[in-house]
Amino acid sequence: MCALTFTSESGDPRPAIRGPAGPKPVSPEHRDQLGRSRALLWRLWRNPLGFLGMLVIVGWVAVAVMAPLLAPYSPILPDMAHRLVPPEPAHLLGTDQYGRDILTRILYGSRLSLSVGLLSVGISFLLGVPLGVAAGFFGGAIGQLIMRAMDVLLAFPSLVLAMALAVSLGPGLTSAMIAVGIVGIPDFARLSYGQVLSVREREFVESSRAAGASNLTIIWRAILPNILSSLIVRATLGLGFAVLTAASLSFLGLGAQPPSPELGAMISGGRDYIISGQWWLATFPGLAIATMVLGFNLTGDALRDILDPLATRRKG
Amino acid sequence: MRKYTIGTLLAVLLLVVALGAGTTGALAAGTITIAYSEGGHTLDPVMANDLTSDTVILAVYDQLVTYGTRKLPDGRVVGVTNDIRPMLAERWTVSPDKKVYTFYLRKNVKFSNGDPVNADAVLFTLNRIANTPGNGSFLFQVASIDPKQVKKIDDYTVQIGLTRPNAMFLQVLAMYTFSILDPAVVKEHGNEWLASHAVGSGPFKLVSWDPANGVILDANKDYWQGPPKVDRVVMQVIPESSNRVAFLKAGSVDMAVEVPPKDVRDLRAAPGVIIRSDPSVRILYFAMNCGVKPFDNPKVRQAISYAIPYKQLINDVMYGQAQQLRSPVPDGMPGYNGSAWHYSYDLKKAKKLLTEAGYPHGFTFDFTLGSGFDDWEQDAVLIQASLAQIGVKMNITRMARPQFLQLMSQKKLTAFISKWTSFVNDPGYHLGFLLDGKGPANYINYDNPKVDALLAEASKETDTASRLKLYEEAQPYIVRDAPWAFLYQYARVVGIRKGVSGYIFYPDELIRFYPLSK
Repeated sequence: MCALTFTSESGDPRPAIRGPAGPKPVSPEHRDQLGRSRALLWRLWRNPLGFLGMLVIVGWVAVAVMAPLLAPYSPILPDMAHRLVPPEPAHLLGTDQYGRDILTRILYGSRLSLSVGLLSVGISFLLGVPLGVAAGFFGGAIGQLIMRAMDVLLAFPSLVLAMALAVSLGPGLTSAMIAVGIVGIPDFARLSYGQVLSVREREFVESSRAAGASNLTIIWRAILPNILSSLIVRATLGLGFAVLTAASLSFLGLGAQPPSPELGAMISGGRDYIISGQWWLATFPGLAIATMVLGFNLTGDALRDILDPLATRRKG
Repeated sequence: MRKYTIGTLLAVLLLVVALGAGTTGALAAGTITIAYSEGGHTLDPVMANDLTSDTVILAVYDQLVTYGTRKLPDGRVVGVTNDIRPMLAERWTVSPDKKVYTFYLRKNVKFSNGDPVNADAVLFTLNRIANTPGNGSFLFQVASIDPKQVKKIDDYTVQIGLTRPNAMFLQVLAMYTFSILDPAVVKEHGNEWLASHAVGSGPFKLVSWDPANGVILDANKDYWQGPPKVDRVVMQVIPESSNRVAFLKAGSVDMAVEVPPKDVRDLRAAPGVIIRSDPSVRILYFAMNCGVKPFDNPKVRQAISYAIPYKQLINDVMYGQAQQLRSPVPDGMPGYNGSAWHYSYDLKKAKKLLTEAGYPHGFTFDFTLGSGFDDWEQDAVLIQASLAQIGVKMNITRMARPQFLQLMSQKKLTAFISKWTSFVNDPGYHLGFLLDGKGPANYINYDNPKVDALLAEASKETDTASRLKLYEEAQPYIVRDAPWAFLYQYARVVGIRKGVSGYIFYPDELIRFYPLSK
């Protein structure tokens, strides 16, 4: 009952790769985990695109954490004497219409984008997964009700729904975050619903039920560990979507409020200057968003190949 | 099957090429194309309230009277709103008590469908305005027109009685709202029809109006003042300002309105383009709600007024296409008095005033930023940074324009930036709206009994000079009370291709197409 791992019960046909035994005796469970994470890294390393994505994300996280140390200027103080300066040694990515250093603003902007991405995916995950699991596990009228409600949410174009939510919550980065989180709920609900359906009737669930485990115990100990890998894949891909949607909301003026250095808002403010020749205002924040989203997507794809072999087999 | 698809592809390609040639070809002689930012909302003269619609109405219709023009020493020609000239009325007389005006209409003027312009048409038009709630009937109040005293004397004579002498009456009568309609047309098609069609006695005939794409106007060759100098005027809708600039530079349009200040220098250097920049009476102000703490304290409002980097706003945000506003009344409006303005950028003084007001460490307030105008946001960010230096934290919240206008009119906003153009270029209209204690556009609970008394006294005064003197007297009170920080007066910037002439700047910022030539 205790050894519910990806490799045995979830049906991975490949043999588990276990780490070398350390000098100290470790409990079998611990050793198993150590081996699994090493295996994961090893497989990521073998998947060059996934590794690249991982590197990009680690890079952005490092930049976000160290922004105050790296940034040469203030991200919000205007300096009208140096506005619209093209990229040059003193301002590597140029300055904006207020004379603020664009590199500095991107460094701080990555903090906003990453935290908004994480928090909104967290909201989607924490609300979507329980709904989907409940619907799949209990089925019946409750399941139908939940899943049809998710269908209604899915029927709206996601950006339009996010805009409507952001407007009704009042403009601001927090409402943008909540809006993006809510828009992502049906994705997680549908995925976990489908996954629960596929494992619900499996032997290990049956056996725990026969052993007299409560519903909650079955969900927690038998079902969740077996569907977690697909959820992690979805969450990683969802991060890219969340960063992009939050930036879109700010671009439309519904997210971050001035003077906060949000990447979408920076593009919005800079786009009028593209035709008059000051291309760097919108281009660099655009590249920042693009690499961030690309990083999450590549990592997500690689993780899917590794953690969710069934999906890979279906594809290929 | 395959042949069929290739044939379709070719046909589509040909169509695309043909359409492309149609839009990018050289501009036809005799046609003036003008780039506008939007396509208008309604062509009904009583309901219209945007620059594009109003411009179309002035091209298609005539009014009883119109504004005169003056040539300035630098060669620019500008409209003069208190110089009233005859239009459909060839002359008029005023009773000794200045309450009854008699208009003698020009004979033999016809609407473009052949119907005569006579006293019945004028009466029909005025009654329709009086009976339309909102804009129209409100202007009756502004001009003190008594709807019961609008009379037909004979086929070409009309008498209009006022409830009291009113210096603004003739200026209001010259507005696009008072365009003379053909009663036969309106009775045949109904009021709704007027929202998208127009038949008038003016210099142009409406060919088509499509709010998404633009307006086509053809010359009325039988116009009573002589045919226009161009055969056709096309108002092309180009919402993005950068695209309007690009089209103007490329010569794809003859004129472009609402040219962004940041592009002015570049356009001045462009061959074939002339920039006309006229000081307008459109003002921008930073409003502080006198009914909300801490702005209920005049010292706090004065402190903020000393902490605004005015020069930066004018030079860096507006690229010099604006001038310092020194009074609630703009320079260029009769009765302007900017002598009391003393708010230079002085953070020490601002800090001292804050301390006297009991906020030595500053305070935090909410500022609402209406969307739609780039300069507003830039101003707000610069003011925010400047206020931070005296410990005042200004939280900016962006808001879509309709919601912003709604909350503003409910007097709920603590602080905001807004613009204002007075369609009647008169301080009575202007101050009566914005800063009278009961003013319909006084959104900030400003109430100074002394100011109200002076405005009331001025509105009763019939002598022009003494009336303006009272308005001049009222302005210093408002400047000292500082319900607004006075930001700037915009310049109206219009880009014109060389060879196009006849552009006249009017304070209402509407272009009259009749004098244009190419």
